[in-house]
Amino acid sequence: MANISMKHIYKVYPNGTKAVNDFNMKVDDKEFIVFVGPSGCGKSTMLRMIAGLEEISAGELKIGETVVNNMDPKDRDIAMVFQNYALYPHMTIHGNIAFGLQMRRIPQKDERGRVHMRKLPKSEIDRRVREAAEILGITDYLKKKPKEMSGGQRQRVALGRAIVREPKVMLLDEPLSNLDAKLRTQMRAEIVKLHNKLNTTFVYVTHDQVEAMTMGTRIVVMKDGFIQQIDTPRNVYRYPANKFVAGFIGTPQMNFFEGTLMRDGNNVKINFTQAQTEINVPYAAMIKVMPQYLRGDKPVYVGFRAEDISLDPEVVKKSNVNVRIRVSHTEELGNETLIYGSINLADEENADVPANVIVKVAGFREYKVGETYDAALDIRAMHLFDKETEKSILPRVPEYNYVPVTIEKNTLEFLGQKLPIPPAVRCPSGKGEMLLPVSGVMAGEDVKANVIACEEVAGQYLVTLEVGGHNLFMLSDSPVAEGKTGVRIDWKKVILQPDNADPIPGMPLTNKLTGTFAMDKVTDAQGKKTIYSAVLNGKKFSVPEDVAKKMFGAFSGRKVFNTVFDYEWTPYDFKVGRDGIPARVVETLDFGAEKFAVCEVGNATLYVSAEEELSNRVELIPDMQKVSVIEKERDIRIV
Amino acid sequence: MKSNVKKKTRASVFFNRCGIRCKVLFHKIGVAIVNFFRRMRAKIKATNARVKEVLTQGNGKVSASMLIMGLGQLLYKQWIKGCLFLAAQVGFILYFVFRGAKDFIGFFTLGVRESNAWYGIEGDNSVIMMLMGILSIIAIIFYIVLYVANVKDAYRIQSAVDTLKQPQTFTEEMRSLLNRNFYKTAMVLPILGVCVFNILPIVFMIVIAFTNYGGEIVPPALIDWVGFANFGKILSLGQFASTFFHILGWNLLWAILATALNYFAGLGLALLLNKKCVKGKVFWRLFPILAYAVPGFITLIAFKYMFSYGGPINQMITQAGGTAIGFLDIDAKWMARGIGLFVNAWLCVPSSMLLATGILSNLNADLYEAAKVDGANAFRQFTRITLPYVLFATMPVLISQFIANFNNFGIFYFLRGGLYLPEYFLASDTDLLINWLYNMSIDNNYYSIGAAISIIIFILTSVISLSVYVMSPSYKQEETYQ
Amino acid sequence: MKKKGGLLVRKAVDATLTYAILIVVCAIFLFPILWLVLASFSKTGSIYSFKGFFPAQYSFDSFRKLFTDTDMYNYPKWFANTLIVSLGSSVIGTALTILTAYCMSRFRFKSRKAIMKTTLVLGMFPSFMAMTAVYLLMTQFNMINNHFGLILIYSAGAPMGYLTQKGFFDTISYSIDEAARIDGASNAQVFARITMPLAAPMIVYTLLSSFVWPWSDFILPKLLLKNKELYTVAVGLMSLDNTEFSRFAAGAVFIAVPIVIFYFGLSKFLINGLSAGAVKQ
Repeated sequence: MANISMKHIYKVYPNGTKAVNDFNMKVDDKEFIVFVGPSGCGKSTMLRMIAGLEEISAGELKIGETVVNNMDPKDRDIAMVFQNYALYPHMTIHGNIAFGLQMRRIPQKDERGRVHMRKLPKSEIDRRVREAAEILGITDYLKKKPKEMSGGQRQRVALGRAIVREPKVMLLDEPLSNLDAKLRTQMRAEIVKLHNKLNTTFVYVTHDQVEAMTMGTRIVVMKDGFIQQIDTPRNVYRYPANKFVAGFIGTPQMNFFEGTLMRDGNNVKINFTQAQTEINVPYAAMIKVMPQYLRGDKPVYVGFRAEDISLDPEVVKKSNVNVRIRVSHTEELGNETLIYGSINLADEENADVPANVIVKVAGFREYKVGETYDAALDIRAMHLFDKETEKSILPRVPEYNYVPVTIEKNTLEFLGQKLPIPPAVRCPSGKGEMLLPVSGVMAGEDVKANVIACEEVAGQYLVTLEVGGHNLFMLSDSPVAEGKTGVRIDWKKVILQPDNADPIPGMPLTNKLTGTFAMDKVTDAQGKKTIYSAVLNGKKFSVPEDVAKKMFGAFSGRKVFNTVFDYEWTPYDFKVGRDGIPARVVETLDFGAEKFAVCEVGNATLYVSAEEELSNRVELIPDMQKVSVIEKERDIRIV
Repeated sequence: MKSNVKKKTRASVFFNRCGIRCKVLFHKIGVAIVNFFRRMRAKIKATNARVKEVLTQGNGKVSASMLIMGLGQLLYKQWIKGCLFLAAQVGFILYFVFRGAKDFIGFFTLGVRESNAWYGIEGDNSVIMMLMGILSIIAIIFYIVLYVANVKDAYRIQSAVDTLKQPQTFTEEMRSLLNRNFYKTAMVLPILGVCVFNILPIVFMIVIAFTNYGGEIVPPALIDWVGFANFGKILSLGQFASTFFHILGWNLLWAILATALNYFAGLGLALLLNKKCVKGKVFWRLFPILAYAVPGFITLIAFKYMFSYGGPINQMITQAGGTAIGFLDIDAKWMARGIGLFVNAWLCVPSSMLLATGILSNLNADLYEAAKVDGANAFRQFTRITLPYVLFATMPVLISQFIANFNNFGIFYFLRGGLYLPEYFLASDTDLLINWLYNMSIDNNYYSIGAAISIIIFILTSVISLSVYVMSPSYKQEETYQ
Repeated sequence: MKKKGGLLVRKAVDATLTYAILIVVCAIFLFPILWLVLASFSKTGSIYSFKGFFPAQYSFDSFRKLFTDTDMYNYPKWFANTLIVSLGSSVIGTALTILTAYCMSRFRFKSRKAIMKTTLVLGMFPSFMAMTAVYLLMTQFNMINNHFGLILIYSAGAPMGYLTQKGFFDTISYSIDEAARIDGASNAQVFARITMPLAAPMIVYTLLSSFVWPWSDFILPKLLLKNKELYTVAVGLMSLDNTEFSRFAAGAVFIAVPIVIFYFGLSKFLINGLSAGAVKQ
């Protein structure tokens, strides 16, 4: 019955450790959200902050339309189910479920119309307790004490205690982990059913990825206080954002092999470092991979799930992408068989871990230990991760388009197109590559293109274009029909990489200034007023109230006035005018469609959108409505 | 020859270990002290920063509260709280003008007018002045605390208003006393009680140690401050010093012997009752519990009579043809001491047995099984498994038992109370410091000397227990816990 | 075979030895108590009329005299006094102790560590040491010869021994408190409606142990009660004349019996309580 909005939420302990780091999420009404991650990842802390059992260090938490940061748990209209049930041992089951209703005061009007806070009448409490017990099938036990009941029944009572109050949000903190496996499966289904019946927002914390996959409408995978990925179970499984998510979700764990990628025309050669094996994969399966990975020198992880490796001779015969696997042992689970082995055939003694492989095969199959078998890899289900950052290099939305270019004088030739280079982009003539961010391709008239595909990804549309025989990706807010269209390039985002020179980066898009925060009392015609302002290079810029309130929320007392902040803006958030930050215009960047002034303010350099030519010295007025604020000491993004 | 060498090395290992232990102890104490000062310095720094913040950033209304308590709150329209603070200030000023100032000064003079019945002059009562002086100092401290709270509160309101937060209303604050701040409500009475009936007497006693109160000088005579003279007397003046050191030596010996005896006898009894071959454990346990349950003074009196000339022991001796023994006679120095140890064990062994039983029941039986499989005999099992475990678990109790035994008043008060030996000053050879203290201050009015002895006892016991505490694992846990 | 036989013999010897020690120890524990009980049934008052360990003649006279002959020694009055003082200090002291222990276990406030350390240091001042000062204080407060003064001193000192109770509260899961808070209870309500009922056994233990101390204490009432009518049993019995030994024994037996019954009934709990306070810091 309510959505939850979490903006820049942090949990910082006095010793500086951050249990939750910049948590941003919007939970829609009636969603079933699962926070999942290994222990210590901050999932429980986040849940307890929603419940109000843990203080929020910084950020804004809204349930419905109200900011609840400083509200007591009882006023948040939430209910919580605990891992150890937390039933009141001295009360009967009826008493346990009724306790929350007995504590509640409901506003009621008396004859004269005055509002009083009254307790619920006993009959009403009893009716509601019975109703909740009915839903959970524990009506027969209402007179018993918790210790007379089994674990599953106790958890039902805990659920009953939560639902009887008809809360806006149900919070469940690992409610099934104290139950045995069979009961867990059963209760899982029941909680999902309960969710459908109650039509309430559920937030569920678990370390068990099976629970996450089977119960959630969306999953939040967390690690070390950071959100790793938020998506539907299917998308998290199919498109893991990084190696951690890929390994955490799904059993048995995804197989990872260390390797390098080498493009050779229309093929990419995957060389498995630990196994002296290589396979060839058509380049079409890897067009989203950034070219720097395809030169055979950057180590990557190649990931295949156990079910995407086949030992079926029929499949192997048809497949072009085969490896040999030496079986070390097998596990027969009845409906499926797990085969453990290694793709490192050369030297079993020194086999490194990354060469180990698990294959899942349906039904009973006999595989001899020590024998080698041919296995087919399903390259459509391949995952690739950078070895250092562990981020997926085969994401659903690639970051850059890679385009070979030739620059001659002031024209750029690419994919059979010729474009004039705006004066701001300075690049020597010659051959090279262009890294064109996906967000840097927009509908326009400069380049003719064919739309060949359009898929929805997380609310946006990834459009695949065909230009001169090459594919280009573009992001669009609305679906684009297939067929001819025109695009243009956002030159300020373009990164050029000449073959024999250093890369030429795009223009920075965030402008940072360091400053403090101050308060002034002013008397004007309307009377006394308090003005809050950011102090930047000695000048004060008044801050709108909602921004100020967010900053106050992150501090106790008046500490906010004694703290140093980083303020950030995009190039479009400045105005030139009087009483601004004095700046020296160093040069003007002309990107054709847009012009930017490079301004120096003290040690900082600002890139400011400027339609007209600016004089040498200007004063810049930042737009405090659009500012981002970062507290430096705790490294916290506040706005 | 070979075994001899082995023994030697064993002994040297033992002494080495002791040396290392001592080094570790001193090191740990040193670290603890350094840490303490470091923490204090950090605290002072933080406080300074806060004071500075309030002084530089507090607005006019905060300054108003600094000037007159509650004024800032009133200016912020917090009527009830402001009025309460104001009333507190007015009340304190009235108290100080009419009473407090006089009491405060009286604490230092301890009276100037001696009473003289001849001339009908009613003089100053120094003891009452001392007490009232302490109370006035407490009142002043209380006022300062209240004043700081008042300024803090005004600054808190300012902070809330400045940062667009709703300052807490008086009702909300009152309500939070039942919720978030329930501990404040709940702890008021216990802390007040402890302050009045535990801390105040201790402070009073400490204060008395620096006066010449006692002996001839009791009201209506005037009492004076004498500085450390009482301590000097105890440590150097013939009659006091020799008695003090004699008693101190016996007291330390007693505390060690009694603690060890009680502890090991209790542990032994628990182990005995824990044996598999013992049937009817509940029955056997009844006897120690019986001893534990009977009020101490009754058993002590009973023992006194039992060891007296007409007591059953002497009667049995005489019936058997022997002559009666004066167990607790004036010259029965070591016998009386031994009887004291025995009686004390009789009283304390049951509780230490119960304690050991409780802890042994937590000891994992698998450990013994494993030890048995490894071929350890009963003695080894005891020294390698049981003893370390029990010692570890009961370290804090052992410390408190040591202190309790060090200050064991009852035993010799009941057994040999009121006995003064010529070579001792108001004490006998079995008396502990605490008994001497009682004899001096309560029976013979040597209040100031008694108070000084109390302080010395406190310093001794706290040094001993602090060292043991610093060595114990629980201290380490506490550190990591922070 | 031989070895097995040897083992059996050793076991038998071990058992015999164990029982022998147990019998001796138990005899030592029983001896004075038995003697005292027998003395209370002795016909004559003085111990010199005993025949060795046993009294010469038995009778119920001592007990009868205890309750009827109240001119010199008013035992029933003493008994009532003791009951008032013990009950009063037990109830107030338990309330204070439980509150303190609950707060120290459940709240993390600024001065918590300081309070824990202070009680540790104060514990090193044996309660007796400041007795002179207490006496002087009570004279100033006009609380000499006043049972309420005694109750105040006993119960005010009780919270110092909060550690056992805190250890117990620490074992009650925090999530129960949290569940109650989410259910809408304030901390005061959590204490009253959840923690208190759960701590019932601990409360009983605390009530008992704080009842027993004033019940058998001698020094403090001796110091503060100067009027014979106000004596507690302990002070009263000590004031008995030497010739009244059997009366002393009878009075002692009479006040010891309830305590002994308490302890036997709760011996298991006693063990748990003692070790809980010991192991948990």
